[in-house]
Amino acid sequence: MFKKTFILLGMCILFICLNSTPTSAQKVRGVTETEILVGQWGPQTGPAAGWGAVARGTDLFFKIVNEEGGIHGRKIRYFLRDDSYQPAKTKAIAKEFVEDIGVFAVIGGVGVATGMSVRDYLMENNVFWFGPVTGVYEWIRPFQKYLFAMYPLYDDEIYTLTGYFYEKLGLKKIAVFYQNDSYGKQGLLGVERYLKEKNSTPVAKVSAEVTDRDLSTHALKLKESGAEASIMITNPSHAALILMECAKIGFKPQWGTSNTLSDAPFMLQITKGLWAGMIHSNFIEDPDSNHPLMIKYRGYHKKYAPQERWGVFYIAGILFAEPFVEGLKRVGKNLNTETLMKALEELKDFRGIGGPITYSPNDRQGAKHLWYGKVRPDGKIEKITDWIKVTKW
Amino acid sequence: MFGQLIISGLASGACYALLAIAMVIIYKTSEVLNFAQGEMAMISAFVTFTLLDAYKIPFHWAIIITFLFAIGIGIFFELIFLRRAKDPSVLGLIIITLGFEMILIGFASWKWGPDQRSFPFPVSSIDTYNFKGLIVSKINFWTIILSLIVMLILLIFFRYTKLGLAMRATQQNPMASKIMGIRTKWILSFTWALSSLIGAIAGILIAALGVLDPPMMMDPLLKGFSSAVLGGMTSLPGAALGGTILGLIENLFGGYISLSFKSVVAFAVIVLVLCIKPSGLLAKHFVKKV
Repeated sequence: MFKKTFILLGMCILFICLNSTPTSAQKVRGVTETEILVGQWGPQTGPAAGWGAVARGTDLFFKIVNEEGGIHGRKIRYFLRDDSYQPAKTKAIAKEFVEDIGVFAVIGGVGVATGMSVRDYLMENNVFWFGPVTGVYEWIRPFQKYLFAMYPLYDDEIYTLTGYFYEKLGLKKIAVFYQNDSYGKQGLLGVERYLKEKNSTPVAKVSAEVTDRDLSTHALKLKESGAEASIMITNPSHAALILMECAKIGFKPQWGTSNTLSDAPFMLQITKGLWAGMIHSNFIEDPDSNHPLMIKYRGYHKKYAPQERWGVFYIAGILFAEPFVEGLKRVGKNLNTETLMKALEELKDFRGIGGPITYSPNDRQGAKHLWYGKVRPDGKIEKITDWIKVTKW
Repeated sequence: MFGQLIISGLASGACYALLAIAMVIIYKTSEVLNFAQGEMAMISAFVTFTLLDAYKIPFHWAIIITFLFAIGIGIFFELIFLRRAKDPSVLGLIIITLGFEMILIGFASWKWGPDQRSFPFPVSSIDTYNFKGLIVSKINFWTIILSLIVMLILLIFFRYTKLGLAMRATQQNPMASKIMGIRTKWILSFTWALSSLIGAIAGILIAALGVLDPPMMMDPLLKGFSSAVLGGMTSLPGAALGGTILGLIENLFGGYISLSFKSVVAFAVIVLVLCIKPSGLLAKHFVKKV
């Protein structure tokens, strides 16, 4: 009896050992022998839905990667979710990504408030997050081990734009129209920071809530300020509305804006041509450029997603995923959050379809370069600078 | 600046007033707050856009077809969703309108995509009239004029036509109206059709004033609702007055007091009115005796 029990017990122990050894070796959440699970949220509906194209652009890029054989034998399985630009929905999506699907990494994600609602949750659960689609300090301060920012900082971007207006164009009276959230406020910070160095201040600071639809009073305030130039840090709907309201009352300053509104053909269409003459920064090569990678992606776009408009925000989804995939390639077969982090920290001046990307063990701000241009009436952008470094560290 | 604020306020107020009237017509008949009103208007605006942009139909034909569509969608909603509700309570019907709103916004996002579009309108949104120094944009001017015309037609309709009288009778006492030979079910469908039609006019004007996209009616609908509460949920002139006052208050408040709080002033007005005169400015307050 004792012998039988002993043999049975031994067999059980042997079974557990044999079974558990390989499992524990592959216990990296979202990584199997054949797949890497990656998620992204983005507003596919709601007031910021225009920026939702980013998440769909990433989908195209992962399809290209998979068609070209994947990464070290693994294909990327991509999960795209619509959060409608609402933090409550983003929270639910992050929970689904981590607890139901079990993703290895989150990529992109439009919105500051949406991203901030899940930043700590993702970090506490050691989820790798690459390239939030906003240029705010919240992604790099405080330092997060597994959070790699890609988007150029709004503060530095608008600081440089203000400098261009002030010094190159000689426009000293500058007003700001901004969205009343972190995105708008950090753009405002750039204007104020620059003007403070010149012992000046903006002649008007006019803010709007995301849901506002009537901006007539805002336009009147801008006009009353007597501004020679006006910088807007806002969403596409508000950009169109404020331009139309200003045109109605005959207020025509030199306008400037952030790269978040750099989809010139689209902006020209919704503003009935008022977008012409706008000066803004760009974080990506021209979608119609002859950059070899852009030609390649355009080919795949026709094959996989011909229904999508080949605009700036769609291809931004590719831009944000390029360094991430480069990191995965450099890691090799032994993929986990630590190895990916180390591989990305070694990226130096990596070039995809945007500016140079560099990380280090104590720097999580990858993109620091932009180029500036002026929108022509035909929707093309006339370059007024080359790629320039706006973040100086 | 004062004159400009008044003009802008009147233009916004005219749109709020139309939405408020559309809501009040429904509320008076069935005590249902139609939360799908905004999205029904948005869909109608998209229909006009598609007819103009994709099918290149002349503007007046596009408007006529859109109006027929709006009437259709109002009747469809009443017949298919509301009338079929089993033992409906008012709250249940309101929830159905919320559900219909979600369906419509989802449909619009799927059919037309989330991107903003410029709405082709025969009146320029940039050109202006100059009335002795007061610059009035053509689009604002015509929005005010068109809204006034619609309100005038409604006034004549309700006061001087048999159908209008039948609607008022049904609103006041459905049972007595039925006994008097009024086909109340038919009147109810017609009420939804009329409400949807007025909403469509508001939707087209709002799209012409700004941009066309699926969430475009979220803010105006709330303001329309506030206007209806301000004027009185059971008073059509009250809704028109409420919209106008709200548009003016918003703009003057934003211009002279605080721009940051401009968008919330409408809700402060609701709270204030509910505290001081719960029935609204022009509606009578009935107290049930037990």
